[in-house]
Amino acid sequence: MTATLERPTEDEPEGSRPSPVEGRRFRPTPGGWAGRAAVPVGLLLIALWYTHHFSQGRSDILASGLVIAVGALSLNVLVGYVGQISLGHQAFIGIGSFTASYVIGQSGQSFYVGLLAGAAVGGLQAILLGLIALRVRGLYFALVTLSWGAVAENCIFRLKGFTGGGEGANASRPGGFITDRAFLVMCALVLTVVLLIDWRLVSTKAGRAFQAIRESPQVAANYGINVRLYTLYAFAVAGVYAGIAGALYASRRITVQAGDFTFASIALTYLIVTVVGGLRRRGGIVLFSLFYVLGGEYLPGWVRGLPLPGTLKANAGYLVQAISGVLAIVTLIFQPEGLGTFTAPMGRWLKGERFALGHGGAGAEGVDARP
Amino acid sequence: MLALALGQPIVLGIVQGAAFGLMAIGLVLIYKSSRVFNFAAGEFATLGAFAYYLSKDKVPVPIAAVIGVVVGIVAGLLTERLVVRPLANRPKVTVLVATAATAITIIAVQFLAGATGKTFAVPALWKGTLPFRILGLYVSYQQLIVLLALALAGGALALFFSQTDLGLATLATSQEPTASRLMGIRVNRVAMLTWGLAGGLGGLAGVLLSPTLGNFTPAYGTTDLLTQSFTAAVLGGMTSVPGAFVGGLALGLVQNLAQFNISSDTLPGAQFVAVLVVLVIVLLVRPTGILGKEA
Repeated sequence: MTATLERPTEDEPEGSRPSPVEGRRFRPTPGGWAGRAAVPVGLLLIALWYTHHFSQGRSDILASGLVIAVGALSLNVLVGYVGQISLGHQAFIGIGSFTASYVIGQSGQSFYVGLLAGAAVGGLQAILLGLIALRVRGLYFALVTLSWGAVAENCIFRLKGFTGGGEGANASRPGGFITDRAFLVMCALVLTVVLLIDWRLVSTKAGRAFQAIRESPQVAANYGINVRLYTLYAFAVAGVYAGIAGALYASRRITVQAGDFTFASIALTYLIVTVVGGLRRRGGIVLFSLFYVLGGEYLPGWVRGLPLPGTLKANAGYLVQAISGVLAIVTLIFQPEGLGTFTAPMGRWLKGERFALGHGGAGAEGVDARP
Repeated sequence: MLALALGQPIVLGIVQGAAFGLMAIGLVLIYKSSRVFNFAAGEFATLGAFAYYLSKDKVPVPIAAVIGVVVGIVAGLLTERLVVRPLANRPKVTVLVATAATAITIIAVQFLAGATGKTFAVPALWKGTLPFRILGLYVSYQQLIVLLALALAGGALALFFSQTDLGLATLATSQEPTASRLMGIRVNRVAMLTWGLAGGLGGLAGVLLSPTLGNFTPAYGTTDLLTQSFTAAVLGGMTSVPGAFVGGLALGLVQNLAQFNISSDTLPGAQFVAVLVVLVIVLLVRPTGILGKEA
C-alpha cells in the first residue's frame, strides 16, 4: 500500500502497469501528451506574435540568432563530440559565406546552389584542418586553428578574385524568401534540418565512435574504431554545418565583408555561445544563441535608462559580449552542462518521460549524459 | 642587386620578435608550471598598453611604463585566482576555453569603454635614434630597449629555473602537484608567482612594443601578438625559456621577411601565412621545438 502511495499515479495509464521488477516504462496520459504538445505550439505562437505583430527587423534579429545557432552547433561537433577545440571558426564560417556569395553573386547561381557550395567547401577546408588534427591533438591543435583563423581573416578573405577585396561580396536571397520575415522561416527550416542530422549523427555508430575518441583515442583504437576516419568525419560534419551557417549569414546580410569575420566577433563569440549553451546540448545551444541576439538588441536600450556613465551607455551594444564572456567562465566553473542543465530535462519530458532535473549526472565532464 | 628586401625586415623583425619573445616567455612560464595554454595573454599586453596610454599625461613616462607592467601583473594574478584556480582539477582544454572567455571579456570591456575603431598614440620611453645606421636603417632607442628587456627577462628566468629553489619548486609543481604539496611546496603560491610574472611580461611587451609602432588599437595583443607568441613558444619547444627567446626572434624575422617581400596584391596577409606554415611544419616535423628540453 505504501508503495502505491509513494508512486506518483496521475500520469500513469490504468491497468497496464507492469511490475517494477521488469522495469516499467513510463508513459504519459493523453492529458500529459497534450501538455507536452502545448509547449512547442506555444513557443511557435510566441515567435509568430513576436515577428508578425511588429516590424520586419524583429524577424531579422531572430534569424541572426538561428545563424549563430547553426555555427555554434558546428563548434559543438568539434569541442563537444570529439574534444578538439577550434579557435579559428571565423575561417569556417567565413569560407562558407564567401563561397556562397561567390556562387550566388558572381556566378549568378541560385541561393540553394550557393548553400550547397558553401557546405561543400566548408567541409573540404575542415577536412584539410582535420588532417593536421590527426597528428597534432589537444592544446597544440587549438594553436593551429588559431593561426588558421588569422590566415583566413587576413589573407583568404582579402583575395580580390574570391571575396571582392574590401568592397565585399553580394549574396541575394532566394525567391519567396526575400523579406526578413520569410528569410527567418528559411533559417528555421535549415536549422531544423541541421538539428535532425545532428540528432541522428550522435545516435548512430558514428556518435558512439566520437564519444570513444573524445575519452581516449588510444582506447578507441584498441576497440577497433577507425580513429582517423571518424576524426575526419567529425571535421567534415563541423565544416558542413559551418558552411551552411556561413551561407545563411551571407544571405541574411546580403553583403559580406572580410571585416565581418574576426577572431573576437565570430570565433570567440561562437565558442562562448557553445559553452554557455552547453556542450553536447543542442537545445541549450539554440536557446542561448537566441538569448545572445535578443540581449544584444534589448540590453542597450534597457541600460540607457540606468544611471551609468555616458560612454558605457553609448557602447552598451557590447554589453552582451562582456556578460556572455563572464557567463562562460561561470558556466565552466560551476555548471559544465551550461543551459543544457535546464533544457535537457525539458527535452526528455517533451519526449514523454517523467520530468526530472539532473537526470544525466551533472558536472562530470567528458561523460555523455544522454540516456 | 638582391632580390629580397633584407635590411628593413631584419631590423624590424628582430624588434617585433623581441616582443613576441617576451610574451612567449610568459606563455612558457605558465605552461611549465601548470600545463595550461593561456589565451588571455594577448589581453595582458593590451591592458598594459592601455594603462601606459592613460597614465602617460599624468605622471612621467617611465612611471607610466611601470604602471603598465603593474596592471599586467594584476591582470595575471586576477586571472589565476578567479578563472584558473577554480578549474585546477579539470581537463586542460576546459582551462584553455576559460582563458579564451577571459580574453573576450577583457576585449568587450575595452569596447564598452568606447575604444572601438580608435587608435591610441603612445610616446617612446626613450626618444631618438642611434647616430648611425644598421643595415641602412636608423634604429631607435626604443627598439633597443625592447631587445634589452627580452635579453634581461630571458636570462633572468633561465637562471631562475636552473639556479633557484623556487624555480625548481615551480618545475616540480608542474610535474606532480600532489607530491610537491606533500613535500612542502605551496602550490598556490607558485601558481600566483608564475601568473603574476607572465602578466608582467605581457604588460611589458605591450608597453614596449606599442611605441615602436607609434600607436595601438583595442584588442591588439590578441590580434597582433597572440598567434605569433604562441608560435614562437612552440618553435622553442613550449617548455624552454631560451627556446621562447630564440623562437620569438626567429618568428619576428620570418613574419617581416614575408611581409616585405610578398606584395599584398599577390597574397594579402602574407605574414600570417608564414606564421601558419612555420607552426604546422614545427608541429609535424619537430614537435619538441628547436630547443625542446626543460630548462
